[in-house]
Amino acid sequence: MTNILVIKEQIIKYYARFEIYITPVLKFLVMLISLIAINANVGYMTKLKNPAIVLIIALLSSFLPVNVMIVLAALVIVAHMYALSMSCAAVVGLVFLIMFVLYFRFTPKEAIAVLITPICFVLKIPYLVPLAMGFLGGPLSCISVACGTIAFYIMHNVKKSSEQMGGGEGVENALTGFRYVIDTIIKDRTMILLTIAFCITIVVVYLIRRLRVNYSWYIALGFGAVVNILVILIGAVSTDADVSAIGVIFGTIISAGLVLVLQFFIHNLDYSRTEYVQFEDDEYYYYVKAIPKISMEAPQNKVRRINPQQTPLASRRNHSIDDE
Amino acid sequence: MLNSEKIRLMTRMASFDEVEGKKDLAVNGYFRGDYISLQVLKSAIYGTIGFAVVLALYVLYNLETFLSDFYKMDLMAFAKDWLTKYVIVLLIYLLISYFVYAFRFSRSKRRIRAYQQQLKKLHQIYEEENERRR
Repeated sequence: MTNILVIKEQIIKYYARFEIYITPVLKFLVMLISLIAINANVGYMTKLKNPAIVLIIALLSSFLPVNVMIVLAALVIVAHMYALSMSCAAVVGLVFLIMFVLYFRFTPKEAIAVLITPICFVLKIPYLVPLAMGFLGGPLSCISVACGTIAFYIMHNVKKSSEQMGGGEGVENALTGFRYVIDTIIKDRTMILLTIAFCITIVVVYLIRRLRVNYSWYIALGFGAVVNILVILIGAVSTDADVSAIGVIFGTIISAGLVLVLQFFIHNLDYSRTEYVQFEDDEYYYYVKAIPKISMEAPQNKVRRINPQQTPLASRRNHSIDDE
Repeated sequence: MLNSEKIRLMTRMASFDEVEGKKDLAVNGYFRGDYISLQVLKSAIYGTIGFAVVLALYVLYNLETFLSDFYKMDLMAFAKDWLTKYVIVLLIYLLISYFVYAFRFSRSKRRIRAYQQQLKKLHQIYEEENERRR
């Protein structure tokens, strides 16, 4: 255990020191993976599949704010849809617009959750996201996770029925294409079920983790996992959604395991980073680089007794005095 | 002479200024009621845009029926129906945003209060320095 703790401290120390370089690299990787996944699933516009363009967008993202990354990813998806058919691009664009209206109003800081959710879907561990966001975020994280989930299912559904969506030219065809796209995208039961289940899981995990009881984190994780499985299974049975029971159960258990690892790194930890600030007073200009100190000690609970009690040693001494 | 306590305090304040401070100080310029009503108004605009998009999707979806039955339709009933939906959705949306922004206001007030404490302390340090110089 001590070894793992030491490794954890080392990682955190390095992160704190090289935060300036690590964050852009991580952003680059997230955007690169997102773009590759988008191209693999709905890459209808061949120009955007050019590796050079993918690299340029990913490199740009490494120093752009995360929210701009989301807008870029959404634009890439809409462009691909446009190559497939006009009506498809219109529907997807409008659905994205609705999501952005909600998202930018309430949780503009959780951009990374929106990007990570579809990636986790591609990696087949989508249940990691609601469990983790219950710990990292608050009840409003529902919105960002829901946006990510819906974005993934839009791509998934378009890929599944791209032939019918392609449609021909002409107003008549465009209209039927439009209806078809809306039907396949918005009326997907699995998408609606998973979105609702994820929101419930996030709220349950959040509420339990905030309770002032020992091990609230572990209780929250266990409860969240059970609630996630139950809601999805019951929902799947009652709505005929296309979900495999074994996949849900094992996926949730694996995700819970991953959250345990994650929890080890985030619990009770202030990820303060190296800061560069400048200010001045009457005599000096200050250019300060503030590096956070990281303590090796685990936080300990001190028990303060209000009524003074005899220590066992003292009482034994009293006994021996009595004996004499 | 460099005063390390002062530098530490100023560093902490400067780093607050850079990130949360900017927003918090902007929030601090409002009375509670003003801030919340402004944010709720913004939410109303965003919500209206969102609802308009949904309505547009609905109309496009049923465009054929609209085109063929336009003169047979009861337009007043249609408008009334969607207006009630709009009002209900918007009310729920505004209620949620009221709670969210009331919470955010009190949170940033709390941070500002801590910042003001630090300011007071800094002022004290300055006074002490001046005393010493005399």
